[in-house]
Amino acid sequence: MPSLLHHHRLKLTALFLAANLGLLLHLAVGDLKAVAEWVWLDIVGEGGSTVLALVWLGLILKSRPAGRVTNLLAIGLSCVFFSWWIDLLDEFIRLPDAITWDHWLESAPMPVGLLFLTYGIYHWHHEQLAISQQMEKRERLFREHRLFDKLTPLGGADYLRKQLELSLQQSAREQQPLSLLVVDINAFDGINQRFGHGEGDRVLQAVTQLLLLNLRQQDLLCRLAGDRFVVLLPNTGETLATQLAGELAESLRHLAHKSRQHGERIQLSATAATVMALQETPENLLQRLNLALAKAKRPLALSA
Amino acid sequence: MTLPCPWYECDSRIIAAHQQPATLIELCLSRGIDSHRLLRGTGLFVEDVPKADTLISPAQFLTLIDNAQRLLGADDSSFLFGQRLLPGHHGAASQALALANNLQQALELLGELRALLSPLLTPRLLLDEHHAYLYWLDSCGAGEQQRFLLEANMTAVVAMSRRLGGEHLPWQCHFRQAPPRYIEQYWVNLGEDLHFNRPYNLLRLPREHLTRPWPQTVQSTAQVACQQARAQLHGLGADASLLDTLQRWLFRHVRQAPNLDHAAAAFAMSPATLKRKLHKHGTSYQEQHDQIRMLVALYLYQLKGYSNDEVASHLRFHDATNFRRSFKRWTGLAPSTLLALLRG
Repeated sequence: MPSLLHHHRLKLTALFLAANLGLLLHLAVGDLKAVAEWVWLDIVGEGGSTVLALVWLGLILKSRPAGRVTNLLAIGLSCVFFSWWIDLLDEFIRLPDAITWDHWLESAPMPVGLLFLTYGIYHWHHEQLAISQQMEKRERLFREHRLFDKLTPLGGADYLRKQLELSLQQSAREQQPLSLLVVDINAFDGINQRFGHGEGDRVLQAVTQLLLLNLRQQDLLCRLAGDRFVVLLPNTGETLATQLAGELAESLRHLAHKSRQHGERIQLSATAATVMALQETPENLLQRLNLALAKAKRPLALSA
Repeated sequence: MTLPCPWYECDSRIIAAHQQPATLIELCLSRGIDSHRLLRGTGLFVEDVPKADTLISPAQFLTLIDNAQRLLGADDSSFLFGQRLLPGHHGAASQALALANNLQQALELLGELRALLSPLLTPRLLLDEHHAYLYWLDSCGAGEQQRFLLEANMTAVVAMSRRLGGEHLPWQCHFRQAPPRYIEQYWVNLGEDLHFNRPYNLLRLPREHLTRPWPQTVQSTAQVACQQARAQLHGLGADASLLDTLQRWLFRHVRQAPNLDHAAAAFAMSPATLKRKLHKHGTSYQEQHDQIRMLVALYLYQLKGYSNDEVASHLRFHDATNFRRSFKRWTGLAPSTLLALLRG
């Protein structure tokens, strides 16, 4: 059983018992319908809804950490499931007309469940706002989890290209400058060679955190490839971008990252370059940025 | 294991699992890939990988590469693999590389020991007055994995030259393929001087960088390592793949315009057998012959300054018109157009 589902054993057992209890009650007082009496359209429709409610419940429990919002959503969906389940039993079991509790079992949980669900989703919204705040400087305007780099985790080059397209349009519309900044770690291959690729990965993760701390709220940091990071700077002209580039390179020089194995300091340095966007395609802009970096790196013979 | 013939084929078990394949497996495991899914279909078991005598075939390695690429699902997989390849941890061969006097010696060793260091892709070193050219030719029928192999091997050579020489070298990279979507990986790993849609896959470097002495040479240790690596190669029973051997034979005999029967006779097998073996590697005699003739023609044009007539007669075409037609079939462009493109 996956670990997150594990936290919800009690809830799932309770739901299972309730569903069985409903089934037993129906069997105790009612008679089974002959196959000829089954209405297939209703069975498929109601059965399908029941199964889907269970799938939603499973996905919610599996994907969310346990907590208040998860509980609200789970109770809501459980009620919805129970209500549809009782509805489905009607199709197979005929109850005597004298019995009325089955209507209660069928109809009462639904509005209660929907109220819980609504309340849960409302709080989910607030939770999401809180989480989005944590994603600041790593995400702008839109979310696409498939474009995220698995190591750092920042948006990758494709995420950057999409963002650039939007930002280029925006800057043209609002007549505001847009700049790009690239940061490339010097001699990163040497770190991999000397301390191992695992340590190299940890350096990249540390550098990501450090760069994020040094950026403004509206900036977006992406990992272009390898040890090369790109920052998208909206409403920023050349002078300010150059100043930011200097600050980022400076902060990396002062980062005292320690290797995991022996705890020795790994001295880092970086080359940074900037370009200001013109009327051009994202691809062209990235190309220019790359050439600007190559030019900035040229005096450094011993770098990677 | 000694092979009955002096070359290896795509199903000959000649690649030590604890060398290049283990490097790729470790990379995948460090990225959280499940080892069983990674090795599915390769006929290889996790517990056999670290054993010194586990050998796998090029076909098995290609399956492993396919799995790795799919499971990693990232644009940088081939480059990360390439960074770990050279000089690498492939026993005496790696040691010989790491202790080479200079880049030229390292590249010559890479060519000589290719069955150990680059078993799936043949590096061919060519020098002229101004430049060194390192051509890459498919040697085991890589098919869809060719791009991965090219990215990995070119990255490996560029990274090795930087590591051992201690400086960035102005490599120029030529690719047959169109520019990839993830060009940024090429920038970071291979540099800015990239050329796509070319008739060949090659790395080019001004010659003066080849002979600059490398700092970490230890002459006597290097010689011992070379001897050990050669002994290892000898033990393998084959120093090149079938396609590689055929390509070398074609280069040598290109002036005689040999056909399938000639080649089969030289390889001491029937034409039908050679045809079947080439088919097994996803290629044909015609394709191999055309590829070599095209490379020779471009060599004559670009480095020797031959005219159309001279190239045509060198390659035993009846006349220049015939040759131009063939050239267009090989490259999609007429000689003059292609040469203008390559110059521009």
